Amino acid sequence: MPIKTLEVIRKRLEERPAELRKLRESGQKVVGWTGYNVPEEIIYALGFIPIRIAIGGDDRLVEVGGRYASSKNCVFIREIVGVFSENEDPYIQQTDILAFDATCLQNFRAAEVIEYYFKKDVIVLGVPRNFYWEEGKEYFGKEADEFARLLEERAGVALDLAKLGESVALYNDIRKTLKSIYTFQAAKDNVISWVEVFDLIQAGDLLDKKEYLSLLHETLAELRALQHNPIIEVDGSEGRIFISGSLIPRGDRKLISIITSVGGRIVGDDIWTGILPHLDLEIKEISPAGVALGYLNRTPHAALPYLDLESDRRLKKLHELLGEFKAQGVIYHTLRYCDPFTFKAKETKDVLAKSDIPVLEIHTEYAGSDYEALRTRLEAFVEMIKIKAESAAEVIV
Amino acid sequence: MVKTDLYEYPPELREEFEATEAIQFRDGSSATAADVWHFMTEIAPKRYPFAYTQKKYAGVRLSRDIHLPSAIKNHYLLLTMNDRITRSRENGAPVIFVQGGQSVDPYYAAGGIALRPASVGLWARGRHEGLGLNEEVVRQHKQKEKAYHAISFEACQTAGYENIQEGGLPIDMVAPFTCLRCSDISYGVEAHRHGPNKAVKLMNIDYPMRHQADKTWAVEYFAQNLRRLTSEIGKLAGREVTDADLSKEIRLHNEGRRLAIETAELWWSADLPPTNGVDRRSLYQMGGMEVHGDPSASLTVLRESHAYIKERVNKGIKAEGVVDKPIRLFVCGSCVFPNDFRIEEAGAIIVGQDNHWSDISTLVEEDGDPYQNLAHAILSYPYEQSVEVRAAWTIEQLKKSRADGVLFLYQWGCNTQSAIARMLCDTIKRDTGIPTMIIEQHEGGSEQSEQLLNRVNAFIEML
Ligand code: SF4
Ligand code: SF4
Repeated sequence: MPIKTLEVIRKRLEERPAELRKLRESGQKVVGWTGYNVPEEIIYALGFIPIRIAIGGDDRLVEVGGRYASSKNCVFIREIVGVFSENEDPYIQQTDILAFDATCLQNFRAAEVIEYYFKKDVIVLGVPRNFYWEEGKEYFGKEADEFARLLEERAGVALDLAKLGESVALYNDIRKTLKSIYTFQAAKDNVISWVEVFDLIQAGDLLDKKEYLSLLHETLAELRALQHNPIIEVDGSEGRIFISGSLIPRGDRKLISIITSVGGRIVGDDIWTGILPHLDLEIKEISPAGVALGYLNRTPHAALPYLDLESDRRLKKLHELLGEFKAQGVIYHTLRYCDPFTFKAKETKDVLAKSDIPVLEIHTEYAGSDYEALRTRLEAFVEMIKIKAESAAEVIV
Repeated sequence: MVKTDLYEYPPELREEFEATEAIQFRDGSSATAADVWHFMTEIAPKRYPFAYTQKKYAGVRLSRDIHLPSAIKNHYLLLTMNDRITRSRENGAPVIFVQGGQSVDPYYAAGGIALRPASVGLWARGRHEGLGLNEEVVRQHKQKEKAYHAISFEACQTAGYENIQEGGLPIDMVAPFTCLRCSDISYGVEAHRHGPNKAVKLMNIDYPMRHQADKTWAVEYFAQNLRRLTSEIGKLAGREVTDADLSKEIRLHNEGRRLAIETAELWWSADLPPTNGVDRRSLYQMGGMEVHGDPSASLTVLRESHAYIKERVNKGIKAEGVVDKPIRLFVCGSCVFPNDFRIEEAGAIIVGQDNHWSDISTLVEEDGDPYQNLAHAILSYPYEQSVEVRAAWTIEQLKKSRADGVLFLYQWGCNTQSAIARMLCDTIKRDTGIPTMIIEQHEGGSEQSEQLLNRVNAFIEML
């Protein structure tokens, strides 16, 4: 049975660009942000409208962006640059200020390219590579103060800590509700799919936050009405797939559609446009530094190097999520020239192999030329994990 | 290569060469010019025949400007890398893998030896004796393949993985600056965590970005990184590192940096190029005092060379093999430069590069807290600034070096230099009208691809 609120959300997304235009006409400003540790609560608390710039899937824009950056940048960054070059995306058109972070060096360079060629007002938040050192955290706290100061300058008001507190509470509620909804997609006899939840998560990048929260509550209520007690368990030969690796932004549906078309059921992810950034975000102090540290202390993004394999929290989290969602195989997705994830592909495969978890690495870009090849490989992989699951079930019987 | 067909230094040069200065090493020992001559004419041709190749365009071949003693001494230091580093390490100096284009004062202050990727490669190369040019190229490719296999085929910089994890090279620590310059280095460091060599210590010296030198907290953070670095190296070396140690090292390295700046200014002022491009590059780089894995050795050779360059410039002596009025090229970008032999054959010469020169030409304040001073200087490297600031500095170098054109080169897989290439070139063209060209290098090896060289030659012709 379709979830009615999802329909409402789709409609609201269609209306949103026009709405943003009106809000801007009435004096409000839109901050477009991209990166992996941008503390959005600060942007919101200052009265800006935050929207996430995470767009992909268009090979033509990749080519356009590559002319300004280079053909050796990740396809995601190239497309972002291409989007600014063409200025036709209805959301991008509405941005007044851009906020980037330096988690990934390529994101940092994208900020420079967009600032240089398209004369955008860009704020950049520095991110420590030694993020687990006390000194690194202190540095990040100061960067967050500076980030807030630069935004205050543009907002023309000082950051009100009471408003920041409200903002944190709102975002915390969004994260908590998303987590609850996410459980339903992985459940037995699920009433919502991972793809629908994935879209729902990404809708939050663009919609008004308060409205988004109430839509999430409505979605959750509907889900609870449809499925009283969602239980995550393996059901025969479903081919339960977990997606890991480089982000999959709005507009990029190639991998997801192939997986579902070959009969795989996606039940979880740890990608940075999926559920991962919403997990384990604990803000202990209401201040720019406090909020920022909450972000930094989550599961680290792969662009932040961690030098001890045994205690790597990214891999620990991956294992935890695989267990929680009872995944039977991992598709490790790497975008062309996405070094943070590509450099770790073999290592991740080796680590998962020790836990006897099958992994398929998919290295791809936005062009459609590898579609058939990917389809063949994914079909074989899904088939393989189904057979593996069936034989495991037989043993249990 | 037929091993008998090797280059030989003219014996009649011996007397003149043996009258030149000795190389002084950091441990107090020295190599007289006679020692160097003996090694370069008797020993090295047998141990390292590839360097004596007669192949005209081979990047590893010895400089033919034989009257410039530093050229021979530079090759001596490069070919004795394995002997010297192995010995120093056995005597207790930990060896640390660093990045190219960064200063190394804190590593030496703590009693270590800092080697950048190229120098680590030289050390590894020195352990394989008797190889001709082709065999050496095959060996290098095989090593790199190992790293690609263990990390990623899209990797450009593998932080020495192939040598340290898979080649048995006894590096004690991998601790480069993680600056914006290199897209791969910090992931390369991280990759070591899954290698078999668990003894190697890993550390990223975290370089903040975006107006970093103007932010007190960024300078403070980088200074803390440097303190941790010297403390860790000190532990490996079995000593406590004091502020005075670092101050002393900064003064020493400033001497090299100043000397390199003076040498460059002399070189650039000359009507006729006083050296060929290969020797010019070696001279400037000696100011960074890291290329040979022994700052004192680099400094003594640079001091002596400075006097030679001065004499050549004063007397209007032109380097052998260079045309009278060559087209002057300035090279921007990372870790790759066009083949000097081919460039010179086409009637041009490379007069400078931003890579390495950015750190060598950045002096460090000597009074006050050495960690703060060093951190501030390092965060001020022009190469690591916004495009407008980097371009303004590059334009200053173009003017000083009287460059006619700019080549921006980067390696395939270099994400951060490739991304700034067009912005930098557009700014240079906008502000000076100097023509620029961007080229990507696809393969390494001893000779460059025809395609790359054809493009460079077309650029030279256009100029
Ligand atoms: S993490 Fe990967 S996809 Fe994201 S900006 Fe960096 S290189 Fe691009
Ligand atoms: S070419 Fe670029 S990625 Fe490669 S080592 Fe040099 S700076 Fe790093």
